[in-house]
Amino acid sequence: MAHPQIAAFARLADGAMQPNRRIEGQITRLGRTMHAIAYDAIHDEIVVPQQFAQAILTFRGAANGEEAPLRGIQGSLTQLSAPDQLAIDPANNEIIVPEDDHVLIFRREADGNAAPIRVLKGPDALRDASMAAVDSVHNLLIVTGNPAAGAAIKPGGRGAIMIFDRTAQGNVKPKAVIAGPKVMLAGGNARVFVYPPREEILVVANGYVGVWSIHDSGDVAPRWTIGGPDGILLAVRGMALDPKHQSIIISDKRLNSILTYHFPEIF
Amino acid sequence: MFRAPNFSRRWKMTWIGILGACSVILGLLLSIGGAGEGLSFFERRQTGSPRLISIVPLPEMGPACEWVPASATLSLAAALQQERLAARSEGASPDEATRLAASQRKPVRIIHDPYMAYSSVAVDPIRNEVVMTDENLFQVVVYDRLDNTPPGASMTEPKRIIGGRNTKIEFQCGVYIDPASGDLYAVNNDTQDTLVIFSTQAQGNVPPDRELATPHGTFGIAVDEDAQELFLTIQHNHAVVVYRKMAQDDEAPIRLLQGDRTLLADPHGMAVDPKNKLIFITNHGSVFENRPGYNPRAGGYGRGEPKDNWPVDGPVPGTGQHLPPSITVYSSTAQGNTPPLRIIRGPKTQLNWPTGLAFDPQRDLIYVANDMGDSILVFSTTADGDTAPLRVLKGPKTLIDNPTGVAYDAVNDELWVTSFGNHSATVYKATAEGDTPPLRIIRSSPLGEDALMIGNPGAVAYDTKRDEILTPN
Repeated sequence: MAHPQIAAFARLADGAMQPNRRIEGQITRLGRTMHAIAYDAIHDEIVVPQQFAQAILTFRGAANGEEAPLRGIQGSLTQLSAPDQLAIDPANNEIIVPEDDHVLIFRREADGNAAPIRVLKGPDALRDASMAAVDSVHNLLIVTGNPAAGAAIKPGGRGAIMIFDRTAQGNVKPKAVIAGPKVMLAGGNARVFVYPPREEILVVANGYVGVWSIHDSGDVAPRWTIGGPDGILLAVRGMALDPKHQSIIISDKRLNSILTYHFPEIF
Repeated sequence: MFRAPNFSRRWKMTWIGILGACSVILGLLLSIGGAGEGLSFFERRQTGSPRLISIVPLPEMGPACEWVPASATLSLAAALQQERLAARSEGASPDEATRLAASQRKPVRIIHDPYMAYSSVAVDPIRNEVVMTDENLFQVVVYDRLDNTPPGASMTEPKRIIGGRNTKIEFQCGVYIDPASGDLYAVNNDTQDTLVIFSTQAQGNVPPDRELATPHGTFGIAVDEDAQELFLTIQHNHAVVVYRKMAQDDEAPIRLLQGDRTLLADPHGMAVDPKNKLIFITNHGSVFENRPGYNPRAGGYGRGEPKDNWPVDGPVPGTGQHLPPSITVYSSTAQGNTPPLRIIRGPKTQLNWPTGLAFDPQRDLIYVANDMGDSILVFSTTADGDTAPLRVLKGPKTLIDNPTGVAYDAVNDELWVTSFGNHSATVYKATAEGDTPPLRIIRSSPLGEDALMIGNPGAVAYDTKRDEILTPN
């Protein structure tokens, strides 16, 4: 991409309305290929991965223009390799970074050359992790990617939703795996989000959004979907929930657009 | 541009409600938590000093945050449990018709820039054409070199547009025109690991006339016509690959420049000085060390079939750094882990996300599209170290806004600049400096219509405090 940035648009922005602010420039330490972003409403912070510098950057919520991050996790102890995705758990003060065949968990306040406080990794845990989300109400860590080779469900590389205890570490098997033809995950790069009040898992995969329950297991079709074959969505990459307005916000990289759907059924 | 957070009367009025909601959440955590999950919460309370968990609104939690009336006969925990069970059963059984209707729902709002956003530029003085890559709508557009959008016009119509799924054009950041044939070489920076080449006849949704499989994350392109060699920068692996100019399909590069001694760090634009056999590269500064065997997942950064001179795709964990922005200079035959001959970097340089590069053989100068400086910086090709630019083209009259592309037209002695921030390409005398208005302008939008600069929005978040949507590129 020609220009890295984090743009902040009004919730009601539509069409070509300009962003209210942008975080950009050398001082920000940002780079392109920020494939994840999280807003921590409790601490009013923005967290992004910066994979070209193997860093996790945290900005104040109101950051604007050329503004340095408040904190950065970077260095030899971090184990960060290619941080492409992340999730936050503000209730437990943690940042979760799925990478390759493991999931790294850092303290939210970690700064500089900080080691992860937990690592989920091992032949029984998972084969690869593309994205993670934390349901801090039900104490779950939910990971998309591919399950361990020996898992009961073998999706043949089609991708899976793996449900772990939130504090799982080491070589721990998932409590449940949602995978199979009905799950419709086209590959291992689906991204996952949660809505604890409704016990929901939401997954974005190439052309659609699917909604499951945290109690699902096995080859279960999504309860709700948006998009799919012949729909407007082409390459969904990001999602955010706006429960107050019963909406979900989606980024589609091929449309190069941000789309808002009113979806009261899931809230 | 930033609107201050609205600490309004509504906020004050809901203060008590927020504290109440915090109590509900606390109760929820205590009531449903098992031993393990409760532990971390209690640990904080027992061992740390008392801490107010939140004095700001908690993330929207829907029904779980609703008020429980004082007259409620059920306990709070039981009420919440019932609520959750009800929600679970509701969510379990939407009928097929309802599900189908939901799946086909249309968005209520779409944030999208409808205009072309020019990322890079190349000039063809022989055919009197100028070519721009449009990173927003995935197109390559060709204009008459002398086109000039009148102030009152909304745009200038291109002579030709190449775009559509068959073209394999997506997030394009670099373009080169073969002076002899007029062929366009257009660089896909992301999502398509293919250099696409089109003839002068190409128009519309047509397949490329020639393709070359490239490593992932190509950005800048330069060609040494004397040596018939094609150079590409690789962002993701901090490398430069060199191909035969006429290479195609799966042909391997003939040279690779990569390694910690090169000081390549998120390399972007590139220019070749064929007379002095030099290459110049702009670097944003982010870098990590690559070593063979460090990528456990197949198909990572250096996507594509490994072959000779393919960039090493092995990010060594924990080696990431943020270096200052720079322009590194090498022999055009450099390969392997070769240090630069010179490096321009430091506060005097004014570099701030330096992106596009162009070489001026008549004056032995390089022109730098300095994205975040809203400027074009001009350096001698022999500049080294913390050196101030010889000239700076910058200011409101220049109309330069987040420039990412620059090209030098040696025949007409003109400088072309693409401003990613305002849908325009502007032309200046090559000697222009300061706040100089352009000689001509080509716009894809009405004057003053700034670009959204969204590029491959890979994620999105919702800022509940400011009611804003956050999206990174």
